[in-house]
Amino acid sequence: MKRAFLVIGLAVSALSLSAQEKGYLTGSFETNDHVYVADEKNRFEPDDDRFGTNNYLKLDYYNGNFSAGLQLEGYYPGLIGYPVELNKFALSNMYVNWKDEDFQITAGTFYDQFGSGLLFRSWEDRLLGLNNTLMGARFAYNWEDKIAFKALWGMPRLGMEFSDTQLRGADLSVSLSNIIGLDNIVLSLEGSVLNKFEKIGIDAQEAGGSPNSIGYSGRLNFDWNGLFVKGEYVDLGKKLVAMTPKRGNAQLVELGYNGRGIGVTVTGRRLEWMTQNISSKSLSTANLISYVPAMSTQYTYMLTTLHPYNPQLGDESTYMFNSGEIGGQVDAFYNFRRGTKIGGKRGMKVHANFSTYYTLAQEGSAKPGNLLFRDFSFDVEKQWTKEFKMVLLYSMQEYNPTYGNFKTTWLSNIVVADLLYKWTPTFSTRLELQYLATKEDKKDWMAALLEVNFAPHWSIWGSDMYNHGSTKMHYYNFGVSYTKGRTRLAAGYGRYKDGFICSGGVCRTIPQYTGANFSITTSF
Amino acid sequence: MRTFLLSLALLISAVAAAQVPSVTVENAKGETINTKSLLAEGTPMIVSFWSTSCKPCIRELDAIYDALPDWLEEVEFRVVAVSTDDSRLLAKAKSFAEGRGWGEDYTLLFDKNQDFMRAMNVSVVPHVFVIDGKGKIVYSHTSYVPGNELELFEAVKKCAK
Repeated sequence: MKRAFLVIGLAVSALSLSAQEKGYLTGSFETNDHVYVADEKNRFEPDDDRFGTNNYLKLDYYNGNFSAGLQLEGYYPGLIGYPVELNKFALSNMYVNWKDEDFQITAGTFYDQFGSGLLFRSWEDRLLGLNNTLMGARFAYNWEDKIAFKALWGMPRLGMEFSDTQLRGADLSVSLSNIIGLDNIVLSLEGSVLNKFEKIGIDAQEAGGSPNSIGYSGRLNFDWNGLFVKGEYVDLGKKLVAMTPKRGNAQLVELGYNGRGIGVTVTGRRLEWMTQNISSKSLSTANLISYVPAMSTQYTYMLTTLHPYNPQLGDESTYMFNSGEIGGQVDAFYNFRRGTKIGGKRGMKVHANFSTYYTLAQEGSAKPGNLLFRDFSFDVEKQWTKEFKMVLLYSMQEYNPTYGNFKTTWLSNIVVADLLYKWTPTFSTRLELQYLATKEDKKDWMAALLEVNFAPHWSIWGSDMYNHGSTKMHYYNFGVSYTKGRTRLAAGYGRYKDGFICSGGVCRTIPQYTGANFSITTSF
Repeated sequence: MRTFLLSLALLISAVAAAQVPSVTVENAKGETINTKSLLAEGTPMIVSFWSTSCKPCIRELDAIYDALPDWLEEVEFRVVAVSTDDSRLLAKAKSFAEGRGWGEDYTLLFDKNQDFMRAMNVSVVPHVFVIDGKGKIVYSHTSYVPGNELELFEAVKKCAK
């Protein structure tokens, strides 16, 4: 660790001294702290610590084409529900980077992704406790706007350390439309290759496993006056699943039209044995190389997020055999303009989504098996007067509680009203009323949230989610936040249900807990 | 550690105002562009980081959208809306923005692996910046409650003077 400080310190100071022009320093700091309180009703008894704190300090220095930076993280101890390997202190990121119009070269840690990330994605998501940054080197070159090439090598971070697994990859993107000189048309062909090296045991070698695996992807990107088609084929190469060699593969198609107040996207995707981990020994949520998100609506209202969809990447165990999933979704957005009959004086926005996913009936096929997840949602947003805005949402969600093992599915219907009223230009209130009706699981729920905002600095909120169908439990939460410029302070207290925290398309499970929380985020 | 602190002190002594860093992002057609190209027009701009699952972000961009015709009568500036949605929601974010009519008045950028967001040191969205004609960051604000856009417009007016 000392050596790392020394190297970065010397490199940065040497460069800052030799710089002709003045550079600038920028950064951010974030702390999230919880104090846990015993709550018999919530079946929660905190550890002796009764405390958790996640802290991040990030610093970046820019001078012309040059930049360098680092990130420090501290977990003393980590918050409940975060990956347990996040503990104590780490200098998690450190890099030096040169970028001009055509070239970029990075040494140290970096984030990147190939295509949609199905083959490779390195990213940070603090909500999930995920940071699989690569420690190594990357080179990128652009030939005008016609060809883009990048090559990288590195060891992904897992927990507080960099793993022994090595990744080598290259990505090429060729813009045919720019080479030919076509106007109004975007047509590009792209491809990537990724080599993963991870030491494996003799038993795994005897089962047909290899320390080296090679994956690749091919992609197409087309756009003509808002009409678009994107296609991606991914082959993860051969790997062991439950000591049997399997070939991971995925196909993704996105097409639609965007323009003139209309947006329509249709997505189709098939996955098979698509788990690609950093380490075969770790069970952490953050143990990821491939990014395989749920391609469905990411709901945000409390009762709509009780059963988020987790995609099935292919799983073989004593209890189940499921090689993957197939499915798709349709999203449609429309803006009834101001001054039209339906739009009225201030316009009206509508959105509908439908998604459906199935297990693969047979390995190697595209035939759908059991239903995994299906949802339909419709929302309408209307600014009635200058003061009053309303959002109404209806969502039908059907999910498979056995992850496709059996045919049984559970169905819930959810309605939400979100009402915002501006009493003065700087004083507003927002009320959410929600209801979930279901015959299964814990039966019906209701929820309400009230937010009182005093711009520009203060916001106060309180909410309650009540299961009146079965457990008679209240999950309440209230708090206050103060914001000034780039700094936000928030404090709250609440009882939280066990479930999932989802961000992007990755979910981590969280246990139930009760307690106070405090957070600061700032940047400079 | 001492070397590190020393170099930090050296750095701070050589600090100028923060600017727009050079990062590669996507435009609405899926072409890659460099964020430095935003400065070519030389007019002030509001850069707003948002995502489809961030309700306050959408409220803020809608509030700016509604006020824009009046604001533009007073000052010349542009609005750049940067979606931080990753590949799960990238296609949806494009349809969402067009479905709200933002495409006609805003420059839409898509930062699918959050490179621009990281380079601007944005930890949480919404986060807005006001950037002057030369690329210097003159104002920034995190989170949004109705009414915050008034302060934002004051910052734009000040920067255009």
